[in-house]
Amino acid sequence: MSGVIEGGWEFVIAAYTVSALLLGGYATSVFLRFKKEKARATNEVSG
Amino acid sequence: MNALFAAFRKDLLLQWRGRTQMVAIFAFGAAALLLFSFAIGPDSSALREHAAGFLWLGLLLASTLSLAESFECEMEEQALEGLLLLPASTRALYYGKAIANWAQLALLGMALVPVMVVLYDAGTLRLLSLLAVILLGTAGLSAPGTLYAAMTSQTRARQTLLPLLLFPLVVPVLLAAVKATSLVILGDPMEQYRPWITLLGAFAVIHWSIGGLLFGRVVED
Amino acid sequence: MRASSARPIAFVAFGVALLLAGSWWGLAKAPGEVFMGDVQRIMYVHVPTAWNAMLALTFAFVCALCFLFTNAWKWDNRLEAGMEMGVVLSLLLCMQGSIWAKPTWGVWWDWDPRLTTTAVMVFAFGGILALRAFVDDPVKRAVWSSVACIVAFVDVPIVYFSVKWWNSLHQAQSTPQTVSSAFHWPLRINAFGILFLWIGLVGLRARVAALRRRGEMAPPLTQKRPATGRAPITGGAV
Repeated sequence: MSGVIEGGWEFVIAAYTVSALLLGGYATSVFLRFKKEKARATNEVSG
Repeated sequence: MNALFAAFRKDLLLQWRGRTQMVAIFAFGAAALLLFSFAIGPDSSALREHAAGFLWLGLLLASTLSLAESFECEMEEQALEGLLLLPASTRALYYGKAIANWAQLALLGMALVPVMVVLYDAGTLRLLSLLAVILLGTAGLSAPGTLYAAMTSQTRARQTLLPLLLFPLVVPVLLAAVKATSLVILGDPMEQYRPWITLLGAFAVIHWSIGGLLFGRVVED
Repeated sequence: MRASSARPIAFVAFGVALLLAGSWWGLAKAPGEVFMGDVQRIMYVHVPTAWNAMLALTFAFVCALCFLFTNAWKWDNRLEAGMEMGVVLSLLLCMQGSIWAKPTWGVWWDWDPRLTTTAVMVFAFGGILALRAFVDDPVKRAVWSSVACIVAFVDVPIVYFSVKWWNSLHQAQSTPQTVSSAFHWPLRINAFGILFLWIGLVGLRARVAALRRRGEMAPPLTQKRPATGRAPITGGAV
């Protein structure tokens, strides 16, 4: 390893974007699944 | 102890009765080794250098077939339930089968060595060292392999699940066995063989222990 | 089973807030690092992800042990949630590591022992999630995934040491993971951010697993009422 790495902001942005997308996407999927299962459960009990 | 010997005898007998299948699995392994050489090309020095890797990859692929097959007959006619009704501990059943699988894999490994020697010009005179690697490496494959084969043979996607579960787990075996075999074939100027063998041994000890502990839960009803 | 999702959602929200704060600090306010310049800023999200991935999978391992000892369904719910979260975090870790490796080492993958072990973990625990999908009997599914989780977790240190050794024979380069003290705050904030985020998500995901199993184990409805769409009372909730 020699010297200073110049710039590289695009990699930083890529890393943070990937993190946000993956975590956000997973969180959304969990929320949606939760909503779906909740709705199905209440339907079965009441309907 | 008697139960263990009985279980081991039973599985050995089953293997003997299904020996044509064993020949087919050997043929599969040999074919894989051939295919690897096509993938690399006819560069004999490159082939020799990577011969150990090819041997163990071929053996690993063939092991999924033989491990899966070891539970085939238990799945027919509810034979597994029948075994569990016997006054033998599940631990004895596990070790009996795991040892039989180990023997089969070791035999397979030894049978593939001449194929490797011929295809990749990868001969060696250090046969005992090579045997040690094969014995310890296949021991490392057999213990978790038997545990997982017991699970996957009862599922729907059995053929895909066994390699999917087993391969990540046995990465240390692959690394260590390939390295040790490579040192045996290509020479070991810095005496690195022993630590790799120790790693294989440690892996085997750990997985044979936890396999015996957990097998009971895997096959219980 | 707790039906309220208020607390997990609060955790998630708090986690996201911390992450936004920590990332802003790390990106905008902290100075660039001496040798690696601005690429070092990836560490503010990479190191917290690493800690939490390991934490999540350790949590899954503990749940597996608890299930085998107690046979209580709640541990299987948490096991499923923990493993899924652990796989997501580990996958993220590999992607971050790859993005960091390219400008630093010039290659997308440099077989760093930590990252390579993480990749193996993705496959190992992802495989257990696949196993769950193919087992219909809930009891077998729970027992087998607990067993597989324990075996896979015990294997992690062995994988790490074998890869570290295997790699050390080839590469002399060391991965500079040390972060000097000036940069601790964004790291800590992000670490807690991801921690609250995943705890909240695991809480929600465990509830999903519980609800799903209830549906799975529910007795079949005795009569179908196609026209009104209202099913008869079957007598006894699940």
